[in-house]
Amino acid sequence: MANKILVAATINGEPTEFLCEPQQSLLEGLRDVLGLTGAKEGCNDGNCGACSVLLDGRLVNSCLVLAAEIQGREVTSIEGLATWQGLHPLQQAFIDEDALQCGFCTPGMIIAAKALLDRDPDPTEERIRAWLSGNLCRCTGYDKIVRAVQAAAAAMRSEVTV
Amino acid sequence: MATPIGASPTYVGNPSLQNVDGADKITGRARYVGDMTVPGMLVGKVLRSAVPHARIVELDVTPALAVAGVRAAITHRDFVDNGPFGWPVRDAFVLAYRKVRYVGDPIAAVAADTAEAAQAGIEAIRVTYELLPVISDMAAALDPGAPQIPEVSPTGKGNLCATHLLRNGDPDSLLAGGQVILEATYSLPHQEHAYLETEGALAIPEPGGGVTVYANCQSPHIARDTAALVLGLEPSLVRVIQPFVGGAFGGKDDIVYQTTAQVAKLALLAGRPVRLVLSRPESMAASYKRESMKSRITLAADSDGTLRAAKVAITVDSGAYASMSPMTAWRATMHAAGAYRYQAVHVDTQVLYTNNGYSGAFRGFGNTPASAAAELAIDELAERLGRDPLEFRLQNCLRSGDCTMTGVRTPGGAGLAACLEWVRDRSDWATKRAAYDEQRAVGAGVDSRRSRRGIGVACYFHGSGLGGEGVDFATARLAVDADYGITLTAGLTDFGQGSRTVFSLLAAETLGVRMDRIRVLRPDTQTALDSGPTVASRASIVGGNAVRVTAQKIGHVLTLAAADLLGCAPERILRSGEAYIGPAEDPISFEAVVDHARTMGLQLSADGRWQVRPIEWDFERGTGEPYFAYVFGAQVAEVEVSAVTGRTRVLKIWAAHDAGTILYPKGALGQMYGGIAQGLGYALMEDFRFEAGMPQALDFDRYRIPRAMDIPDIEGTYIQMLPVGTGQPPVGTGQPGGPYGAKNLAEPVMIATAPAIANAFAQATGRRVRSMPLPLWNG
Repeated sequence: MANKILVAATINGEPTEFLCEPQQSLLEGLRDVLGLTGAKEGCNDGNCGACSVLLDGRLVNSCLVLAAEIQGREVTSIEGLATWQGLHPLQQAFIDEDALQCGFCTPGMIIAAKALLDRDPDPTEERIRAWLSGNLCRCTGYDKIVRAVQAAAAAMRSEVTV
Repeated sequence: MATPIGASPTYVGNPSLQNVDGADKITGRARYVGDMTVPGMLVGKVLRSAVPHARIVELDVTPALAVAGVRAAITHRDFVDNGPFGWPVRDAFVLAYRKVRYVGDPIAAVAADTAEAAQAGIEAIRVTYELLPVISDMAAALDPGAPQIPEVSPTGKGNLCATHLLRNGDPDSLLAGGQVILEATYSLPHQEHAYLETEGALAIPEPGGGVTVYANCQSPHIARDTAALVLGLEPSLVRVIQPFVGGAFGGKDDIVYQTTAQVAKLALLAGRPVRLVLSRPESMAASYKRESMKSRITLAADSDGTLRAAKVAITVDSGAYASMSPMTAWRATMHAAGAYRYQAVHVDTQVLYTNNGYSGAFRGFGNTPASAAAELAIDELAERLGRDPLEFRLQNCLRSGDCTMTGVRTPGGAGLAACLEWVRDRSDWATKRAAYDEQRAVGAGVDSRRSRRGIGVACYFHGSGLGGEGVDFATARLAVDADYGITLTAGLTDFGQGSRTVFSLLAAETLGVRMDRIRVLRPDTQTALDSGPTVASRASIVGGNAVRVTAQKIGHVLTLAAADLLGCAPERILRSGEAYIGPAEDPISFEAVVDHARTMGLQLSADGRWQVRPIEWDFERGTGEPYFAYVFGAQVAEVEVSAVTGRTRVLKIWAAHDAGTILYPKGALGQMYGGIAQGLGYALMEDFRFEAGMPQALDFDRYRIPRAMDIPDIEGTYIQMLPVGTGQPPVGTGQPGGPYGAKNLAEPVMIATAPAIANAFAQATGRRVRSMPLPLWNG
């Protein structure tokens, strides 16, 4: 309250300024200050990945990053994935493959998958499973999620070739 | 009546169907209770017991009210009669009264401007305890001199919470004459639901003294009725709305009803909205678990492998409160000897209070541990008989026309043998079983010293719906809107299992309209009719049927309107897509028929109700018909056990479920794979342990649930009923009265996984394990 910090960062492509408290996590900053509730709190200790966002393109658990740490940096959350042109191929693939049930892990899962495909456009199933092992899902048994990531990767590769 | 052209359904079983909430969930727009804020909203927080058993000597929340920012603080004194709740036993309290009975038991709650102020308020509450002896072992619960945990013993016998029995024939004489006998005791652990979204509620006080609560419960009407009772309000003044719910698996009943009542009271006292969402460690301590269970099984078979008789004695750890344990224990009793033909079966079950958290509903509802025990025992018996475990099961498994272990003929037939044959053939069972036997016998190869492989099987049956647990009905309401959309209000709810999609497709299919016309309202006690609880995998069957009959009512009205418009008898109307066609073969649109119906003054809204055929179970004698129908399935697991690390890795799982008609194929496979993942966790890593009543893991570091890497390749199928008239013999079986022949599936698909893995472990290591999770193998 007394010692609020002014943070200037690029959030989902938009220059954003906001006030946070020194101890506030990035997850709390996004959800409670900026009203971006797509990233979820599933454990608040870095185990479940429901709060996954990209920080300068790197996958992080936003519950383990301080809001003040993003000063001058870029954050991408699930709200930043779709553009005016439409859904991100991963979002489309999650719909097409029905890779969601309760949906609580879905935003974090899609963000984690994006971080993977940004690095490796053609990952093996094993790599996908290893990469997504920071994101818990209790509903699907992961199978449809792995299929969706494979489908999105294929769609994105064909886009690039075209 | 209107005859569809081309008998094939448009939506039922369509493999391209997608979740109706998909777009909201992949964009982050779906709002869960923790995502909701309203102006002036306060933060709620609960003081919970850190000790397993104690008398509350002093409890004073006035110091909390003195903390800056704290707006309200409550204890049991703020509720009618100190706030008791619970069904079938009313032994729990909204906030602890006189005693705390487990670590996590709520004692008091505050609402404050900020989370920090709420925490300071909690810390300011004065509470002193007189510690009481702790019962952490079921075996000690009935000792003379054991402290009685509940305020009032529901049986009048101290910590004995409930008993059940099953009496079918006289197993004792058969056991005496049986040629091969197995007698063994199996222990199954507590399991945490670990839904990714923890429990929470947001209460908003309303003008006129009422309160609206957004709660992530399974059954909003029960939340409303519970809150109204303890708040002393008419139920009409308490409105409960279910927002998106992040998973439940049976776990969002009692704990969320309790949370609902707490936040409602805080909001009414503070005169401001209050939101309370449990932290993960708080959720893990406070919420109920799958019951731990001991099952002592005696089986007798002839030397030719014919099963003769079974006797089972079950003890269920209910923990501090009854919650659903008396009912999960009843279901366990009805399934305790497995899906086999017996001449006689007796089961005796005791439900015991301890200070180990508390137990309640979790996927499979008592059948998961009961069947796990039975399937381990059947495997051991097959080994004693020198029989292949899968062929032994095929010899004895329930087939259409057989009587179950309760002595009742299976209505609608049994597709279990087809499931066993499917997993046998797809897994190349005989080849692998022989190869892995060889590997164990030889044991000299380099590989077999580093790791061993095994393949195991398990099967199950599962009574459909509530059975003897209660009246099994559901309701729905449909209304054609001004824009020709159709609003569906269902009494049963969707917390991630896909019911909103199933209800939408059933309404569209039955009405013969595009599925995107159907809009499913969020469950709201002010608009939805009470349908009982959303539990027991009954949403698609019972709730789905309610939607179907409601759609039929509206479809009937629309056909009358079309007939009037086309100047023909209703019987002459045909349908093609959405169009209505009369004898003049001039199609008219759905919109035109709706317009005409309105001109005629016909009502285009309807309520429908569907109730399962009543069945009778005599709880005193342990005889009767427990369920109106059963579902069946089988799974094979192939494992590799490392001699270096001792770890068991599942290489592949084959799963088949006798499913009747599959309504929503992608959703159904998701349920199967998700159920298998939970079963794999139950077998290999999930052990919610209590030591002297203290929970040993309250986060995902120490309570591990399966991650993507832990899940093997799964080949799953639903064995569907073949349409009548195909000339082929039926493989799967339909549910008597299920919508479009559908059967239930959400819970049973997890039951076989853990025992199949344990049976594979036994082949790999030569070691029979009688408890779960499986230990590290030490050679």
